[in-house]
Amino acid sequence: MHIADGILPTSVAVGSYAASLALMAWSVKKTHGDDLPKVAVITSSFFVASLVHVPLGPTSVHLLIPGLVGILLGNSAFVSIALGLLLQSLLFQFGGITAWGANSLMMGLPALCCGWGFEHTKGTTLFRHVCAGAVWGGIGVTLAGIMLALLLFTSGEDFLGVAKIALLAHLPVIGIEAAVSAFTVSFLYKVKPELLRTALNSVP
Amino acid sequence: MTSPSIHLIPLPFFWLLAASFLLALLVYVGARRIFFPAGPNKRSAPEQDRDWSIPSIDADTQKQSPFHNWDPRFKVVSLLIYWFCVASINQLPLCFVALLVALMAVRLAKIPVRTSMKRIAALSGFVGMFLIVMPLTVPAKAGDHLLVVDSFQFLKFNLRGLSLALRIGLKASAIALMMDPVLGTSPFPVTLNALARLKVPGMIVQMISLAHRYIFVFHHEAKRMATGMRARGFQKRTNMETLRTTGNFVGMLFVRSFERTERVYNAMLARGYNGQFHDVADFRAKPNDWLKGGFWVASGLALATSDKLFHLQLPYGL
Repeated sequence: MHIADGILPTSVAVGSYAASLALMAWSVKKTHGDDLPKVAVITSSFFVASLVHVPLGPTSVHLLIPGLVGILLGNSAFVSIALGLLLQSLLFQFGGITAWGANSLMMGLPALCCGWGFEHTKGTTLFRHVCAGAVWGGIGVTLAGIMLALLLFTSGEDFLGVAKIALLAHLPVIGIEAAVSAFTVSFLYKVKPELLRTALNSVP
Repeated sequence: MTSPSIHLIPLPFFWLLAASFLLALLVYVGARRIFFPAGPNKRSAPEQDRDWSIPSIDADTQKQSPFHNWDPRFKVVSLLIYWFCVASINQLPLCFVALLVALMAVRLAKIPVRTSMKRIAALSGFVGMFLIVMPLTVPAKAGDHLLVVDSFQFLKFNLRGLSLALRIGLKASAIALMMDPVLGTSPFPVTLNALARLKVPGMIVQMISLAHRYIFVFHHEAKRMATGMRARGFQKRTNMETLRTTGNFVGMLFVRSFERTERVYNAMLARGYNGQFHDVADFRAKPNDWLKGGFWVASGLALATSDKLFHLQLPYGL
């Protein structure tokens, strides 16, 4: 779920723009200059992956993949997610242009967190990788849901009901996302394990 | 001045029936329009995905309009200011004004109705949730008007919540509709070039450009992979097997994209890429560009300040 235009108070919208731009600058700094064009190309594959719908009973949900982006890109994840969300807003109107900063924080911070967490818990065996993938994939969506609820709540107590429902809507996605992340990590571990080790050489 | 107590407006049961019927009808018609734009007869097999074909940002650059012959640098900056002004509006009548302005701009820029409809359709889920949830969950404050149906005392429909949701929907639509007059009226590379001229770091502009280009490549690839999966008998269902297959699908997409980045980057280097962004357009500011830019900034500020200065009292606390 992406925040549309006109919901956030102006101070929050502008503030999150500033925070996102600062984090983007930090993220770019943490990426080797040569790797930036590669991050851009990988961003497009994340964009396409987030269009994949998984059926859930009578309806279907789409993948959010903040966890996977963090796992694969580490510190570069924020710039990738910010760009992806900008393009989603420009192309599809998923997320308003004035809420771009808030949406980037909502997805980018969980991604950074998951990347860091996966790095420190993945161990060396396939089993450990898959478990870490499931846990951090699920945590990514959970954090994104909590961020969304918090951002909605900044608009005042009138938005508490909507924030709660938005958070509830994330619950089924957590399970799906955890499972898909685990399977993706397992696939990558068998097929191209170097992606899980150091996808891009991050700057110390 | 409204009196500082909560107003209860009792409604007969009939109203609840009528409202639910209307809601169901709206949802049905909306869903049909969004999911089967070609009409239900031509729809694809039910197990197939919704058509996520990626729209082109700059589909209508061949026309002539005040937006088309406007310097993209001014377009982006002045409209960004205008968008933030519109997003800060709090009063219902001004939200309607903003929507009217947006509709006129869309008309002026000769954006096809279909393109605008797609933007509104993308919003409809999120805004629709607000329209349904807000009136029922907003806490009742002094001066609020609540609609209560006789036999359903627990259902309190708060008109202030409805008004909040309406304002959000109107503002979101007003801003979304203005996206196409800005982005659709000059070729995307030219808009990006304008961003670079506006001192957006060249690397970021290049990344946007590259990411945009490769979205279409990977989308094509994803579609081919999905076709292959269907040919092997894969059907999406709510089960673990579908999740496992989706996980592998996503993993394969990533493997291919990481492998492709190396080739892309080498090809870029072979063509003399040195991290510089080359101008694809000649930017010369004419008085007209300043005038149009000034108009949008001024109208944005006018909307925002009149929102702060004048307070219209609407009936029922809307």
